[in-house]
Amino acid sequence: MKALLNWLDSRTGYKNLLHEALNEPIPGGARWRYITGSMLTFCFVVQAITGLFLWSGYAPSTQTAWESVYYIQNEMFYGWLLRGIHHFAAQAMMVVLGLHFLQVVWDGAYRAPREVNFWLGLVLMQIVIGLSLTGYLLPWDQKGYYATKVATNIAGATPLIGQQVQAIAQGGSAYGHHTLTRFFALHAGLLPALLVGFLALHIYVFRRHGITVHKSAEGKPVGKFWPTQVLYDAVGCLVVLAAVLILTWTRGAELSAPADPGEDFPARPEWYFLFLFRFLEFEAISRLGVAFGAIIVPGIVMTLIFLMPFIGKSKFGHQLNRWSLVVLLVGVAALTALTIYEDNHNESHQAKLKFAERDAHRIVELARREGIPQNGARELLVRDPYSQGPRLFARHCSSCHRFDGHDGTGQHILKAVLDAEGKPVKGAHGNLSEEEPATAADLKDFGSREWVLRVLTDYDKTFAPMKNAGEKGQRFLDGEMAGWCRENKAVLSDPTNAGSVTALVEFLAAQSGRADHGTFDEKLVAAGKDIFEEGALKSGTLSSGCVDCHAMKAVGETESLGDGAGSGYPTLTGYAGSDWLKRFLRTPGHADFYGDNNVMLAFDTLRLSDDELDLLVKWMTGDYYHTQKK
Amino acid sequence: MADQPVESSPSCESSSPCQHSVSCHPLEPRRGFLAQVGAIVIGGLVGLVPFVAGTLCFLDPILRKRDSGTGTDGFQRAANLAELPEDGTPERFTLRADVTDAWTIYRNRVLGSVYLRKIGTQVIAFNDTCTHLGCKVDYQASNKRFFCPCHQSAFNLDGEKQNQTPPRNMDVLEVEVRGEEVFVKYQNFFTARPDKKAI
Repeated sequence: MKALLNWLDSRTGYKNLLHEALNEPIPGGARWRYITGSMLTFCFVVQAITGLFLWSGYAPSTQTAWESVYYIQNEMFYGWLLRGIHHFAAQAMMVVLGLHFLQVVWDGAYRAPREVNFWLGLVLMQIVIGLSLTGYLLPWDQKGYYATKVATNIAGATPLIGQQVQAIAQGGSAYGHHTLTRFFALHAGLLPALLVGFLALHIYVFRRHGITVHKSAEGKPVGKFWPTQVLYDAVGCLVVLAAVLILTWTRGAELSAPADPGEDFPARPEWYFLFLFRFLEFEAISRLGVAFGAIIVPGIVMTLIFLMPFIGKSKFGHQLNRWSLVVLLVGVAALTALTIYEDNHNESHQAKLKFAERDAHRIVELARREGIPQNGARELLVRDPYSQGPRLFARHCSSCHRFDGHDGTGQHILKAVLDAEGKPVKGAHGNLSEEEPATAADLKDFGSREWVLRVLTDYDKTFAPMKNAGEKGQRFLDGEMAGWCRENKAVLSDPTNAGSVTALVEFLAAQSGRADHGTFDEKLVAAGKDIFEEGALKSGTLSSGCVDCHAMKAVGETESLGDGAGSGYPTLTGYAGSDWLKRFLRTPGHADFYGDNNVMLAFDTLRLSDDELDLLVKWMTGDYYHTQKK
Repeated sequence: MADQPVESSPSCESSSPCQHSVSCHPLEPRRGFLAQVGAIVIGGLVGLVPFVAGTLCFLDPILRKRDSGTGTDGFQRAANLAELPEDGTPERFTLRADVTDAWTIYRNRVLGSVYLRKIGTQVIAFNDTCTHLGCKVDYQASNKRFFCPCHQSAFNLDGEKQNQTPPRNMDVLEVEVRGEEVFVKYQNFFTARPDKKAI
């Protein structure tokens, strides 16, 4: 063995190299404060290893990028772990980079003769920022897509050459296949190669000048890199790795829904760029233009940092550098905290995040169940009632109706309230606004047993918003059905009649033929049918049977129970079922529905295409794939 | 000031005497040993973890337990029974199925084609790939035989080889008649070998 190693050494000189590497003198001995450089190198090595493996499963195109990342994350063996490490180690790298930078400036390690190495470090910092920026887009999910759009639009705001820079980065005038292939080439090719090159120079120059020794270490014995400092470095790396693994285990690398240019997303940059995002939002800054806040100011700051070795020549200059950096970092931290605080207290933003999360979960469920079509996973969401229903409701229905108090997607319908001077008044929802009153019923669980019961026993409350719908709306509250409900309120709420009411509700709810309401009790339905016709409850009688006004052919029967009282008394055949609802939405003013009393807009094919109608109704009637609960 | 940088004077090698004002003490032997072991163990560990995670994922093709598939038994519908000639003449049919490639599912994709023969109440299915070198075998009605245009392999109606070109008879596939429909379990086999081995 020894002979073999000697042979190898005589051919390669590896012992000398090893000796050189491990016996680097450390004046004053090993110290914990020297570990940040090694930790950064470690982060990069982790990224290179995991990145190469991820590369083997990644397919950069707009129809395969998200899909392949989904596959790594959810299907491949320990893919979640691999991607999680890459995802969180990237963030850890930013933290360690900040520490390393802070330490270098604080300890004055940027001063002569180490100026060049300081600049090399700044170049490395830019490369790392470039890596995180390009990497963010690669999964081609909503989050990465919209956040990166902001970045390329900022590039587009560069004076003079902006448009060209943006077009070159995007590979065209808009995002597409070439945006991904270019970003991927940068992320996995050019930038890592540059990083390796500059890192080699950085370490070479560092070794040339040696460690910047702390004054307190002067006069203490000179130690060596091996083994104590190596141990300290290794422990530092272990801490980074542990943090990365814990985050991977507890949170996992996020993957939002596939990028969709037509679908809004509550975009925020990755947390370490939040300060810049918030900075640009200041009115005073945004008034000066994007280029000022996003390019000129950061450019000036970077230039000042670049000049630190010159500024720091004097004692005063060094203190200036130190404290400027502290002020800068405190400012960054404050802006970051401010953004997080504001976002957490922004109800609308939180609702959007929640809805985006709903999409993210849903698409994985659909992809697992149905497989991903050739055109990409987005198609699965686009034709999924559970995903599209709330959006269609928000777009078409929520100007009058509500869904559990919101617009279907979780947003409250708000309006600004102005005071006497025309200034907005701060309301319950923070954003200077208050709830816009609905003008039609809240349609959560429309057609369910609960809904039917509510209509019968609490008609006034169910349709209370109609009072905001003008004279025609008021008719619904003063009309015959409202009157019937008031007349029969005592009978219907009599505890001895609870069974009868349940039966009537069961009968009416069963008309929809919906599958998601569970099985209907046949005995109850039959009993309910009698009440529907005759109006006889266990104790007492309804002032009139339902058939006296409502036409109805009960589900599964061919004979009509009644022909109704004429136009404007809604037909209840298949009430709240898919066909009933579709016909109602298309023609609410038809004699079979509200007739002349109708206040609702008719959703003809110009307003709502057949596909959209289908999606909306399927969502409202629960006709979609339901999450299987284990 | 507490942190003036001090130029280090490199050299603290066991072979040469220390140039520092204070002589360098080698670490206490036991502590030094522990530090060495610790550095190697922890250093190795942190390097290994990302590599192991990557390797596990890379070995996905052999490590992951796959679902039993689409839930079908591997049989695909090939034809209606009525489409087969009563006199036993072979007829070629194309088989289609949903095919999954990693994350993408291709609907109704052509898997391949087979010859079906109806003999009495039985149906025989041949894979139409030549057992010689994988060309598609044609049925020659005039000679009532299967014939491969590439290297003249010839088979009779029962799929038995009629010359020395092919290494074995035509490959028979499993067939099931379900009601009025013929289902075939489509498989391909290695060519150019005397035994029938599924790919």
